[in-house]
Amino acid sequence: MRRHNPGMARQVVRGWLLLLSLLFLIGCGWKDAEDGIVFAVGGAPSELAVWEKVVKKFQEQNDIQVSLLRQPANSQQQLQGLMVALKSEQKNPDVFLMDVAWVGLFSEAGWLEPLDELDQSAFFSDLLQQTDIYGGKLMAAPVYLDGGILYYRKDLLEMGGLSGPPRTWTELAESGRKVQTIRRKDDPDFYGFVWQGAQYEGLVVNFLEFAGSKGGIRLEKEKGGVRVKMEENLVALRFMRDLIWDYEISPPSTYTEMQEEEVRNFFQSGSAMYERNWPYAWTLHQGEGSPVRGKVGIAPLPDPEGGKTVSTLGGYHIGVSRYSDQKDDAQKFAAFVTSKEAQRMVVLELGWNPGRSDLYDDEKILAEYPHFKQFKEIFRKARPRPVIPYYMQVSNVLQTYISGTLARNFSPEEALEKAQTEIDSIENRYSEGKSKYGKEGGS
Amino acid sequence: MISLSQSIDRMEEAIAERTPLEKEHVQIIAFMFPLIFFIVAFILMPVLGTLYDSLMRDVIYMEKEFILFENFRYLFTDPGFWNAMRFTFLFVIISVPLELAIGLMIALVMNEPIPMRGLLRACVLIPWAIPAAVSGRVFELVYNYTYGAANWLLRITGISTEPVNWLGTEVGAFIAVVAADAWKTTPFAAIILLAGLAAISEDLYNQARIDRASFMTRFFRITLPLLKPVLVVTLLFRTIQALRIFDIIYVLTGGGPGGATESVSNFAYKYFTAGDFGYGSAASVILFILALLLSVTYVKISGFGKE
Repeated sequence: MRRHNPGMARQVVRGWLLLLSLLFLIGCGWKDAEDGIVFAVGGAPSELAVWEKVVKKFQEQNDIQVSLLRQPANSQQQLQGLMVALKSEQKNPDVFLMDVAWVGLFSEAGWLEPLDELDQSAFFSDLLQQTDIYGGKLMAAPVYLDGGILYYRKDLLEMGGLSGPPRTWTELAESGRKVQTIRRKDDPDFYGFVWQGAQYEGLVVNFLEFAGSKGGIRLEKEKGGVRVKMEENLVALRFMRDLIWDYEISPPSTYTEMQEEEVRNFFQSGSAMYERNWPYAWTLHQGEGSPVRGKVGIAPLPDPEGGKTVSTLGGYHIGVSRYSDQKDDAQKFAAFVTSKEAQRMVVLELGWNPGRSDLYDDEKILAEYPHFKQFKEIFRKARPRPVIPYYMQVSNVLQTYISGTLARNFSPEEALEKAQTEIDSIENRYSEGKSKYGKEGGS
Repeated sequence: MISLSQSIDRMEEAIAERTPLEKEHVQIIAFMFPLIFFIVAFILMPVLGTLYDSLMRDVIYMEKEFILFENFRYLFTDPGFWNAMRFTFLFVIISVPLELAIGLMIALVMNEPIPMRGLLRACVLIPWAIPAAVSGRVFELVYNYTYGAANWLLRITGISTEPVNWLGTEVGAFIAVVAADAWKTTPFAAIILLAGLAAISEDLYNQARIDRASFMTRFFRITLPLLKPVLVVTLLFRTIQALRIFDIIYVLTGGGPGGATESVSNFAYKYFTAGDFGYGSAASVILFILALLLSVTYVKISGFGKE
């Protein structure tokens, strides 16, 4: 047997204990080195650059340090980042932006500090009522808004001898078909109408617009139970499927590939007559080098009978963390971000649609973006997604079955039947638990 | 409170009092400590944490509560879960044998003294070195309806002017996922099997040639039996990896169309990101148990480890 070195074990143990204690010390010392509040926000580099300007402006006016916590551009990853911090009751971030679809969840989880001091009169009141006010208190405030709109090709409208953009589903299908037939002679890949149909959140957003304008799915938190199995939803789902397979004005790739950017690129390349998208596409369509520059118009989304358009509300809202150790400063920052001054800055730099309603009449902004006049009406009536804390679970179920219908794996009847069963089961499971917010009464 | 240095001193005293044999044991433990530490910290604790969480109602907006097997009860009546199980099983049953068969063929070729063998071996490994998310994105570009390589090939070869929506049907999406996974993981099987082939003595083959054994006879009588232990290990690795397939699907199909390609991992992930950690953990635990059972079965059947 090899002779062992008696000192060796001691050295090894010592070495490891030293390393572990070092790690422990580092762990303890890993405090936020910076004073002041932390603002978590994600987005493209150009957007973060604007947020830096906003922070700088705020610091000039207040003696409060703000550091930006840069999040990824992907909203799912932003959500995960915030969820981890808030679930473990971290002091940071103190203030953050939330997708409108999460506001219900964050409120119910008791993660948000009410924004009692904020002046509510500057916002769209329906919108605040439906999304930001939870348990009678203002939990968040809109920073920028989104709503589904219809983009159309003005030049092709003329070519097809059409008087204006479609107001009803029938008009959409017929005019789309007509122009598509003419255009196909030159462009075999031309389609009448492109929209978001891939299996992701955007699909549910589109479904809520189709179904909502038919008078279908609309859920209020007070009423409990989500109902999807109803005639109106069936009609909407059939129409979505028929756009691809019966009217054939939407490409088969709708349900495999089409998310916002795929849809925008398709339309922008000149291969579509109509497009459903968010307002962000406007500046890109009209940008330099865009093949459709100067040929694009916008209109409310068509609906079954005309005049009952429904647009799903999107966008980001600002909230203050319940676990923040500098709530007053964070509140001040939230108030600044939603102030006229900061909002105007963001709007003029990025072309975003402000959360404040008064900026849609602002002359300086209208001079730059004349189309904002039309947006105001759309946002005033835009519908939020169901404000229930388990919205994401419901959305996942709907995504699966709507996608399955578009792929013709299920009939629309079968899809809604199955979706309802699964949603009932989710609600059943959650009804047995105690909600945090309910228990603490939103103290 | 005893300070750190005091406790080290005590330990050293204790070590000094031991007999030489005991000292060696202490030494062994000291050397194994890092490994044990990492296994406990990064494997055992997360596994136990997931087990614990699967017994809880852990939804972010609710009070955390112990509910025993309630999550599992709902899981077993959840059609979404069974759909994911069905897909995962089909995926394992079809992709693993396919990858092993192709991998074995590649390994047999690479084991022959062909020209530029080193370069060939390196090239074969490239797909394995590419992250799954990246290869998923690459295949997405191949199958893309509008500008994908597959439809471009159809068009320029004149097979079809009408583009095919490869990911648009249940069967099509399934085949696409299997193909993408096979492309990525076959090299792994090939390289391990190649190592196994290299260990088989050339003398056996020479002997067989003298006896005029045909190629097939040599393959079935010498190669396959001697390769069995390596085959079992490869099968084990691949089965467990295939069971928890996630990234390629996440990137390529997102589980669509209509949940046709949703694996159990994708199902669990969906619940984790929606803030239901208990339910997501329960689905993960099922996957863990399945992998464990399969491993034990393989090892038992093959007699692996017993010489």
